[in-house]
Amino acid sequence: MKNFDLANPLHPERQLSRLQAQTRRHFLRSVSGGLGMMFLGTMAAPLLGMAADDSNAYTKPLDLARDPKHPLSVLPPQFAARAKRVIYLHMAGAPSQLELFEYKPQLVKLDGQDCPASLLAGKRFAFITGVPKLMGPQYPFHQTGDSGHWISDRLPHLEKHLDELCFIKSMRTDQFNHAPAQLLVQTGNPRLGYPSLGSWVVYGLGTENQNLPGFIVLISGGNMPDGGKQLWGTGFLPSVYQGVQCRSHGEPVLYLDSPPDVNVSKRRNMLDAIDELNQQNYAAFGNPETVTRIAQYEMSFRMQMDATDAMDIHKEPESVRTKYGSKVGESSFANNCLVARRLAERGVRFIQLYHWGWDSHGSNAGDSLNVGFVKRCLEVDQPIAALLSDLRERGMIEDTLIVWGGEFGRTSMRENRSGQVTKYTGRDHNPGAFTIWMAGGGVKPGFTHGETDDLGYEVAKDPVEIRDLHATILYLLGFDHHKLNYPFQGLDQKLTSVKPARVVGEILA
Amino acid sequence: MTQTRRLSALSIFGLICLIAIVVLASLLLWAPPDGKERAQLMQFFGRLHPLAVHLPIALVLLVPVIEIVGRNRRFAYLRSSSTFVLGLATLSAILAAGLGWSLARSGGYSGSIVVQHMWSGFLVVFGVWLCWAWRASTDVPVHKLYAVGLAVTAGAVCFAGYRGGQLTQGVNHLTEFMPAPLAGLLGVSNPLDAPANSPYGGRGTFYGAHIQPIFAQHCVTCHGRNKHKGNLRLDSFEAVMRGGKHGAAIKAGDAKSSEILRRVTLPSSDRDFMPPERSPLSPADVRLIEAWVTSGASGTAPAETVLNNVAMGDLKAPVEVSFPDVDPVSVEKQRASLEPVVAKLQQQLPNVVEYQSRGTSDLAVNAGWLKSQFGDSQLAALSPVAEHIVSADFSGTSITDRSANGIGAMKRLRALRLMHTRITDSGVQALASLSELETLNLFDTPVTPTSLAVLARLPGLKHIYVGQTKIPAGGPLPDTIKQKLVF
Repeated sequence: MKNFDLANPLHPERQLSRLQAQTRRHFLRSVSGGLGMMFLGTMAAPLLGMAADDSNAYTKPLDLARDPKHPLSVLPPQFAARAKRVIYLHMAGAPSQLELFEYKPQLVKLDGQDCPASLLAGKRFAFITGVPKLMGPQYPFHQTGDSGHWISDRLPHLEKHLDELCFIKSMRTDQFNHAPAQLLVQTGNPRLGYPSLGSWVVYGLGTENQNLPGFIVLISGGNMPDGGKQLWGTGFLPSVYQGVQCRSHGEPVLYLDSPPDVNVSKRRNMLDAIDELNQQNYAAFGNPETVTRIAQYEMSFRMQMDATDAMDIHKEPESVRTKYGSKVGESSFANNCLVARRLAERGVRFIQLYHWGWDSHGSNAGDSLNVGFVKRCLEVDQPIAALLSDLRERGMIEDTLIVWGGEFGRTSMRENRSGQVTKYTGRDHNPGAFTIWMAGGGVKPGFTHGETDDLGYEVAKDPVEIRDLHATILYLLGFDHHKLNYPFQGLDQKLTSVKPARVVGEILA
Repeated sequence: MTQTRRLSALSIFGLICLIAIVVLASLLLWAPPDGKERAQLMQFFGRLHPLAVHLPIALVLLVPVIEIVGRNRRFAYLRSSSTFVLGLATLSAILAAGLGWSLARSGGYSGSIVVQHMWSGFLVVFGVWLCWAWRASTDVPVHKLYAVGLAVTAGAVCFAGYRGGQLTQGVNHLTEFMPAPLAGLLGVSNPLDAPANSPYGGRGTFYGAHIQPIFAQHCVTCHGRNKHKGNLRLDSFEAVMRGGKHGAAIKAGDAKSSEILRRVTLPSSDRDFMPPERSPLSPADVRLIEAWVTSGASGTAPAETVLNNVAMGDLKAPVEVSFPDVDPVSVEKQRASLEPVVAKLQQQLPNVVEYQSRGTSDLAVNAGWLKSQFGDSQLAALSPVAEHIVSADFSGTSITDRSANGIGAMKRLRALRLMHTRITDSGVQALASLSELETLNLFDTPVTPTSLAVLARLPGLKHIYVGQTKIPAGGPLPDTIKQKLVF
């Protein structure tokens, strides 16, 4: 034994390590070379009437193959797109549509009366118990603009842009709690593990600026949204398409910059060495994740300069910062909006802003319509208006799609958690009807689609499911939502999931 | 001895068939079709009736042919098979009748047509059994009663078949396309006309003139006298107002709450969509129904009053969006000459030049992200494909007026972005050739009002973004161009 040379392939340790490297995966792969498999491969396909390429013609996926070293390179959309990028403003917690955009005079009349039993029958509520009372809008509404939209007094800056917005008032969902509802809105499925809207978009289109991530997420409001990081996760798509959560003050991504004594050339050397190791691994196992990991390291190297520049709102003149209401050094929705505009200018494909704190149950000051809601409206009103006007000024409104919305609506009844009436007013979750608006690339400005009933409780006309919204967004970006799919677990998975979805043609310009 | 044994085998067969016929008769008497829809399994088997019934039809009609042709000496051998054919006909008729009962009982059928079909079908079963019994028991060629019985059975087959056709194809399936002279000779008229003595839905009323024909054309096959899915009939005014299993179909005065209108304006992929498996009602028809409902859903109001009173256009059929079809072969052909040049450009300038979509050979150029690395020399490299570029974004790049001619060569440009560049008025002069330009972005460039003269002459231009330029927002501007400017 002591004469054995380690280099000798018969050396027991070498043999052992080679055996240990043979995983179950290798075994299953070699099994497929057997005679039985060869028969099935050749004979079975014509037997079962399938062509060699047996994907259903209806869902035959687009060819989204790219050089694995550049997984975010630009790809053309399927057909002519109206929008080239998306800015999604998600108000986590579900903003009350009855205090913002839905004016219901009938609800005003019935304010304070017991809720009729027909509205409560068969419904699950998060917190309402017994017989709650109907509650009219807590803030006065008025009509304004050429389009005659109704809006409350909470959004005085956004009011000036009302004629550019396209409302969908008949959105509905089947999830009545935050995390699954947010997952449904962002990933098309209320369960974890599915790619988000941004991931699908970046998977299908790539991104214009190769020095920045294609999908960037900015959070404000003090908390993460309930759905967690999976809301911008990539599910079963290659991990390079996930959203990158950046911070709007300080370092955009933590630890992006090199440590103090490591200069650019040292970092470059390190990256080259890691690259070589990863290439060897790729040659041995062929796992495409390895190559995209290489690409991600390269991206983070390029990001060191470009991301810091993009996120640095110092570079904007004081007048612009005042227009947004943003303050340097703070983490706020206003800062995030300004950063979003800068990112859009720099060719980022999908920018998502989450603002937490709209869950106006009325259980405490922060979560109430009379206190917390007022603050939230103040926080988002000016920045969104400034964002819309900046994008219009720069001509980017033509090909940028802006979406604003929550994950469900709020009830027409006042929430009476554990039967008590406090000085804070609030409403419970209502998946039956909620409002979103869109602006920009390809949607009809000054238009409203869909209607709810007299109490704003359920959809009365033209219901729009979340998957319909997804199909519409993908259509505006130039995709048939059936064709943008990815085979996983035996199914050609797509964003709009398995139920039939329709593009809301009425809102297209 | 052998003769008696053979007879008793036949008798057993005959007895079994008779018992089955008695069972069938009692089913028909005590469990007749009553218009309700029942168990799924019964419907499943019942739907085999149209398939199974063809065998006894053929066999029963074959027997008279055999008997008549068999009278000729040359075909005398045919007569010996009559008994067998009749026996087979009996068995298959019993089976078909049983399936037919299952279908009638479970499929929502009621009314005179299905009852007539049922009893004439039963007559066929009983008649063919009798004929078999006669034929099997005697060797005498033709008994007069047997001939009459056979004729009656064959006639019953024809009648039952006619009624059966009316059930599946519609009451006037034979008369619908009957040539006019023949129809006149037979005195046939459209049975869907409302009876003359009904006070509602006459020819002069709005309902009778406009709404009833819509229902008759699209709905009555499944919601009519003989088949009424969901227990709803739409073949008369009274029936429409009565509604069906899910309640009222029409709510007078309220189009939005009327179930019929809701269902016909759903997208065709929806489960509740009506009429299923067919093309949707035309928007004009939907508006007519809506007008009728909104004006009170009256069966007697004359046609003119309804059309005058109602504000139309509230209900719209959903806007269906279809995805453009892309034929990869033709796209490849279009791109064939362009492909090598584009491939080279994509290598030189990665992520800058790309086709605008998968279905076209038009190009979109986006050099903005390269910022100062993209300059005049890089833009010059685009000249081989200039005529194919429809959208170009050079924002933030280091191009100067020297590239203006290169941009001017992109004659098919529809969208041009020059934000944050050093293009001046002289550069804009070269853009005069861009006759298809729809949007031009000059945000934060050193252009002055002099450029406006050139831009005013571009016919397709819709938006010009001139914020942060030397063009004053409030100053005197030529009217032709004023509404296109965006500050």
